Amino acid sequence: VPTVVVTTVAFEALALTAARALGLADLPRVTVPHPIGGIERGRVVAYAAAAVPRLVEALITTPAPVAAPADERVDARLEAPDGLEEFQEFVWIQGWGDGLPVLPPTPKRVERLLGSACPDDVIAILPPRPGRATRQAIAVNAALAGADAEHMPIIVAAVRAVAEPAFNLQGVLTTTHPCAPLTIVSGPVARRVGINGAENALGSGVRANAVIGRALQLVLLNVGGARPGTVDRATLGHPGKFTYCLAERADASPWAPLHADRGFAVDASCVTVCAAEAPHNVNDHGSSRPEALIAMLAGTAATLGTNHLFAGGEPLVVLGPEHAEVFARAGWSKDAVKRAFWEHARVRVDRVPAENLARFVAVRPETFRAAPPDRGVPLSACAEDVLVIVAGGAGKHSSIVPGFGWSRAVTVRIDE
Amino acid sequence: MEILRPPGAAAEVSVRTLAARPRTLRDRRVAVLDNAKPNADALLNSLADGLVRQAGVASVRRWRKPSASRPADNLEEIAAAADVVVTGSAD
Repeated sequence: VPTVVVTTVAFEALALTAARALGLADLPRVTVPHPIGGIERGRVVAYAAAAVPRLVEALITTPAPVAAPADERVDARLEAPDGLEEFQEFVWIQGWGDGLPVLPPTPKRVERLLGSACPDDVIAILPPRPGRATRQAIAVNAALAGADAEHMPIIVAAVRAVAEPAFNLQGVLTTTHPCAPLTIVSGPVARRVGINGAENALGSGVRANAVIGRALQLVLLNVGGARPGTVDRATLGHPGKFTYCLAERADASPWAPLHADRGFAVDASCVTVCAAEAPHNVNDHGSSRPEALIAMLAGTAATLGTNHLFAGGEPLVVLGPEHAEVFARAGWSKDAVKRAFWEHARVRVDRVPAENLARFVAVRPETFRAAPPDRGVPLSACAEDVLVIVAGGAGKHSSIVPGFGWSRAVTVRIDE
Repeated sequence: MEILRPPGAAAEVSVRTLAARPRTLRDRRVAVLDNAKPNADALLNSLADGLVRQAGVASVRRWRKPSASRPADNLEEIAAAADVVVTGSAD
């Protein structure tokens, strides 16, 4: 059926990328000024009135064919400057970096990362470009990120995980929402490779966390083509888009590891990826009872601006070991924590200002239409959708990591 | 020095031919697929009204995606009910 796409000028590059990925690069677009959301509807109607003649024209005119982008027709190898500083400049100009210095992906280094694995294995096809994430393409970006061979199985597993349809990678990479794939490594491999799940686990200081998370981001940037400012439409993003990886701290957890909750053998090594906002701290030096700690965790999570309120999804609770201990001492299972969090982390309908309430009614009518003002809206469809892990060091802090909402966490086993 | 190119190869995308365009919109059926972004309904409905007034289309029917981040699940139905489609992409 002859179709025309309407988009604001700020999103035209994304619209073109999406059409190109469908083999429809010549799909006609009609643009209107940006933004159309959050402005008076009268202005939107005026934009539409001005665009009608262009829309008519686009619907009745056969568009000219569009050539493939230049980067699709080039060799795998190329000459780069020898000097490390000149090399940084070169990578930056090509648009292949994240802004921090990178290491050269020379054939020798890439070969070392690949080991005996077949370089041509296609691990995934990554939107929005779409790009072929072969084992070699992943290794090239891992080399840029500064990773070593022992990190490769985890990076490959993370790429496999984000490419699962349930993760909605196209949405995650192109949304205005600030989400980045958070890689949670659980099982014996975390200790073996030295991935930090203890003090500062979500911060700096440990190479494995830094390079694994960064390699995944560079794969998504270069192979997936999610370039910030053009196709990656994040309004602000967050620092986790440089790197966002931690280990679950099995030795301080009273419960089975995350991957066991998700159907894998307890002794397996797995990655779980979540489309995650930046972590938000829960400072609780007071609670000695689980109910009181739940109130603090839930009160921190139940905010007006979270996507979970209207998109559902899976909020992540990262419990510091001393907070986990509060639950363990009282004999609470992980499921009991999830249920209590789900029941208490709610936003009352009468806290939502009118214009947003109207929008929530449109997006999620089953929850918000004619809802009584004292209804508490949960952050996920059910208690099972709350994700709970234990990580961190000494101290009375936990983290709430809100998600994108239109994405599900995916767990895959790490093939070593 | 020699390096390997970080983007690697693009996935092959089979290029599809666009549907032939009608010469005129007069008496055609228009489908509007709202991509569920805020105010997309106002923009797309106003455009459709413009098509009625200025191009003489016969009818306008409206659909809405469940969310902007997910594909529509009723494309076949829309295609069967319309001669041309106007939809939104992103914001």
